[in-house]
Amino acid sequence: MPAERSYIERPRYSCALSGAMTTVSALPRGVPILHAAPGCAGNTTWTQMGGGALQVGGYCGALTVPGTNVGENDVVFGGERRLREELEHTFEVIDGDIFVVVTGCVPAMIGDDVRSVVNEFHDARHAVVVADTGGFKGNSYYGYDLVLEALFRQYVRPEVAKVARRVNLWGVVPSWDVFWRGNLAELRGLLRSLGLEVNAFFTQDDSARAIREAASASLNIVVSDVYGVRPAEIFRELHGTDFLQIPMPIGPAASAEFLETVGERAGVTRRRIAAAVKRQTRAYFGYIETLADCFADMDLQRYAVVIGDANYATAVPRFLVEDLGWLPELVVYTDLLEDEAKAALARRHERIAEPLRPKVVFETDSEQIVRHFRELVPEGDGDRYQRRFSPAFVVGSSLDRRFAATIGAAHLSVSFPVANRAVLDRGYAGFSGSLRLVEDLLSSIVAGR
Amino acid sequence: MSERGTKSYFELLLPPKRETRLKPCTAYGGTLCGLRGGGAACLDTADRAFTQGSICLLLPAIGTISSLPNTAVLMHGAIGCGSSMHASTASMRSGSLVRRGAAVDSLWFSTAMNESDVISGGEQKLERALVEIDGRYAPRTIVVVSGCVPGVTGDDVEGVIARVQPSLSARVLPVHCEGFRTKIWATAYDAYYHAFGRYLFEAPPGAPPPDQARAQRTVNLLNVSSMGRVDELELERLLKLLDLEVNVFPVFADPERMYEVTRAGLSISTCPTHDDYLLTHLEERYGIPSVLRHMPIGIGNTGSWLRDVAARVGREAQAREIVAREEAELRFALERFRPVLEGKTVLVSAGEYRALATATLLSELGLRILAVRTFHHDEFAETEYETLAARAGADLTLNVANCQPFEEANLIRRLKPDVFLGHYAGNATASKLGVATHTIYNVGLNYVGYKGAYELAGRLYRQLKNPAFNRRLAAHAALPYRKGWYASEPFAYIRNQGEAEGAGRT
Repeated sequence: MPAERSYIERPRYSCALSGAMTTVSALPRGVPILHAAPGCAGNTTWTQMGGGALQVGGYCGALTVPGTNVGENDVVFGGERRLREELEHTFEVIDGDIFVVVTGCVPAMIGDDVRSVVNEFHDARHAVVVADTGGFKGNSYYGYDLVLEALFRQYVRPEVAKVARRVNLWGVVPSWDVFWRGNLAELRGLLRSLGLEVNAFFTQDDSARAIREAASASLNIVVSDVYGVRPAEIFRELHGTDFLQIPMPIGPAASAEFLETVGERAGVTRRRIAAAVKRQTRAYFGYIETLADCFADMDLQRYAVVIGDANYATAVPRFLVEDLGWLPELVVYTDLLEDEAKAALARRHERIAEPLRPKVVFETDSEQIVRHFRELVPEGDGDRYQRRFSPAFVVGSSLDRRFAATIGAAHLSVSFPVANRAVLDRGYAGFSGSLRLVEDLLSSIVAGR
Repeated sequence: MSERGTKSYFELLLPPKRETRLKPCTAYGGTLCGLRGGGAACLDTADRAFTQGSICLLLPAIGTISSLPNTAVLMHGAIGCGSSMHASTASMRSGSLVRRGAAVDSLWFSTAMNESDVISGGEQKLERALVEIDGRYAPRTIVVVSGCVPGVTGDDVEGVIARVQPSLSARVLPVHCEGFRTKIWATAYDAYYHAFGRYLFEAPPGAPPPDQARAQRTVNLLNVSSMGRVDELELERLLKLLDLEVNVFPVFADPERMYEVTRAGLSISTCPTHDDYLLTHLEERYGIPSVLRHMPIGIGNTGSWLRDVAARVGREAQAREIVAREEAELRFALERFRPVLEGKTVLVSAGEYRALATATLLSELGLRILAVRTFHHDEFAETEYETLAARAGADLTLNVANCQPFEEANLIRRLKPDVFLGHYAGNATASKLGVATHTIYNVGLNYVGYKGAYELAGRLYRQLKNPAFNRRLAAHAALPYRKGWYASEPFAYIRNQGEAEGAGRT
C-alpha cells in the first residue's frame, strides 16, 4: 500500500489471511488450516455474514476450519508444537482433498518455521500446501493470489504434457466478488462455446484432480488487471504456460471481444468464433428487444457513478456505455493499488471515446467519494437551468447507499460489501450475466412502482 | 468479586484478562451433574488437542463500540482486523433506525499495519491517523481498538493518545483487543468497560449537576448488544411497572453522556458473564448497588430477575403482583403452541448464561433438553446450573466449547434432537445435519422477559412446523468430517479435564 497513508476508511475487504481462508474454502473439498490467533476465522466469518450477500462458509469454511488458535504461550515459546499437534489431528477428523495451511499475523511475527512442520505431514495420503499469508502482508484479494501461488508451487504437478484447447481461468476472487460462482460459470460457458476445456478451480465442475493437472493447460486466462496476475506470471515460470490478461467481460460488446481475443489466442477457427459470438449476441438481444418500449417510455437512461473493485469498476462502466446507453461519468476504484496497476486500469477506460469517457479516480475512503463527485458536478445553487446529474444511478457497494441518497440516485450493490442482497448463483459476466445486471439495475428503479 | 485490595482494576493501564481474574474453563465434556458443586471437573487448564475456528475478544468488543453515536472506531492493527465491522454495520443500521428513526452506518478506520509497520512499530502511523481522522471526519469520540499486531510490536497506544489528545477535538480512548492474549472473549466486555470507566465517566464541564431525586428512581440497564431494542422495550416495560426510569448502557450510549451511568440508584445486569467488571466498579467507586444474578430469559428467570430488582428498591409486593399477573397471561397465551412444542428434544449452544437461561426457558415451554453447549464456564453461572438441573435433570450432556463445531456435529448425530438453537454463525452444522434450527441470538428478535418467551415459542412453533429447508439440505450437503469421527467419543480431544463424579469422560 502507498506509504503515505496512515489509515483506510472502512476497508472493503479483509486481510491476506482472510482472503486465503475463503479462497481455500472455495476449492473443491478444500480445507484451510489456520495457524493464527483465535479470532481470525471468526473475523472472516463475521465479515462474510455482514458483506457477503448472505453467503458464508462452504464445504469447510467459517468456524468449521481447523485452526491452532495460538495464544500468549505460543507467542513466547513459538507455535510450532501446537501446529504439529493440530495437523496430526486434522487428518483424523477432517475429510478433504486439498489441505492448505494459511498463516496469520502472530505466527508470521514470531517466526514459526511453518514449512518444516508441514513437510512432516506431506506424504502420499495427503498433500499439504503452505501459504504464508500473515494478515499484514496485504488485503484479501492478495490472499487469493498467495493461495494460487502456493498451489502452483506445491500442488500442481510439474512437467505434464500440454493439452491443446485446455485453459485455466483465474481473476475472479471467491467470496470477495460475491457473484464469483455465477461469474465463473458464465465465463466457463463462454469459453466452452469456443470448444475450450476449462479449469476454473472454484466451480462445482472443478476437482482437486484437475487442479493437480493444471499444468497441462496450453493457455491461462486472467480476467483481471490485478487479481491473479502475479500467480499467472509464476505459473508461466514454473509450468511454461503463457497467459492472456483481459478484463472480466460484462455485456455483449465486451463478451464478443473476449471471445474473439481468447479464441484467436487459443487457436480456435475464425468461423467457430464468429458463430459463437453471433449465437450469443442474438440471444441477448432477443431478450432485450422486449424492453424497448418501457426503456423509452419510462425514460430508463441514467447518468451513473460506478464504485467498485478492480474488476467491477472496469467492466461495469464499459457495459453501461457501450450496450445499455447509459452515462457513467465517474468511476471510483476502491482497492488499494500500486501506481502501475492504477495506470493499467485507467488505460482500460481510454477505449471509451470522448465525450463519453468517464473520469476515473482511485479512492479507498467512502466518505471522500462525494468530494470527487462534486469536482465533476458542483453542488447546485438553485438555478433552474443549472447542469444536473439526474436521473442518476450509483452502482457500488452497500457502503455507497449514503452517497447515492446524497446525490438523489438509485443504487445497486455489486462490489463488496454487499450487505443488502442475497446472491447464490447469479453472475454478471458474459452475455446472459449482463441480462441479470440489466434486470437488477432496472428493478431497483421501478421497485416502488 | 472484590477488587484487588484497595486498588481498583480501573487504576491499571490494562484490565486483567479473565484467565487471571476468574479462572474460567473452555473445555469440558460430560454431564451437568459433573460440573456442579464448584466446577471441579471444568478446569482452566483444560484444552483441546484439535481445535477449529473461533472468535476473539475484538469481535464482541466492536459489536458494542460500533453502536456508539458520533464515534469513529479506529482499528489499530493489520488491514483485516475488525473487518467484522461489515456485520456490525448491519446492527448499527437497524439499531439506529429503531432508536433514532434513521439507519446510520458505523464509521470506522484501519491503520492497516503493513510489513514495514511490523518492523518499526505502528505508533507514528497511529498518531498521524488520529490527527487526520480528527481533522477530516470530526467525530466527537475516537475509540482506538488495538489488535494482535501492535500487541506483539509493543506499541504504546496510551502514550500516543496522551501525546496527541491536546491537539484534537475528538476525545480518544484505547480499548485493548489483542486476540492472542485471551481465550475468553468475554474479556471484551472488561476491555471496553475499562476504557469507558477510565475516560468517559467524569461529567464534562457544563454537564447538568446530579439530581438526587432523579437518580433514586433511575436504574442502569446493562446491554452489551446481546439484546436488541425489542428486548430493551420489554425490560423497560417491566421496570416501569416498578416506577423506575431506565438508562440503557452501554450499547448506543452517547460517549459524551456516559457519565450518566454514575448517576443512577441501581445497576441491573442482564447477564453476569457480561457485566460483573463494570458493576463492581460502579459499586466501589460511585456507591451504586447492583443486581447481578439472573438473566431475564425464561419465565421463572424473568420473575427472579424482577424480584431481585424490586427487593433493592423496596417494592417486593408490587413485583409479586406483577409476576403473578404476567405469568398467568403468558401461560394462557402459550397454550396454543404447546401441542407442537411438548416433548420435542433440543440442543442449545451459546454463551454460558444465555445457553443455560434459554435451556431453562425451553424446558418451561415443554421441550426436553438433551444437551447444553456453552462457550466457557466460570463461577457466576452456578445458580443458573442449579435452576436448569432442577428443571431438566442433572444428567443432561454439558459441553464447554468455544465453538468447536466438530464436537457439536458428533453430539447432534448421537442425540438426534428435534431442534437446535445456536449462536450467531453457529447454526449451519445443525442445519446440514437436518435438524430444525433457530438462532439463540439476533438483535432484531425478542427473547427476554415474558413477551420474549412468547415470541421464542412462536418462532420455534414455526420452525418445527416446517423444517424442510434443513431436511432437504441434509440430504444433499456434507459436513467435512470423516466417518470415523462420528464413531469416536465426542470429547476425545479434550485433555486435562478434571475428574469429577459423573463427568462421563472416556
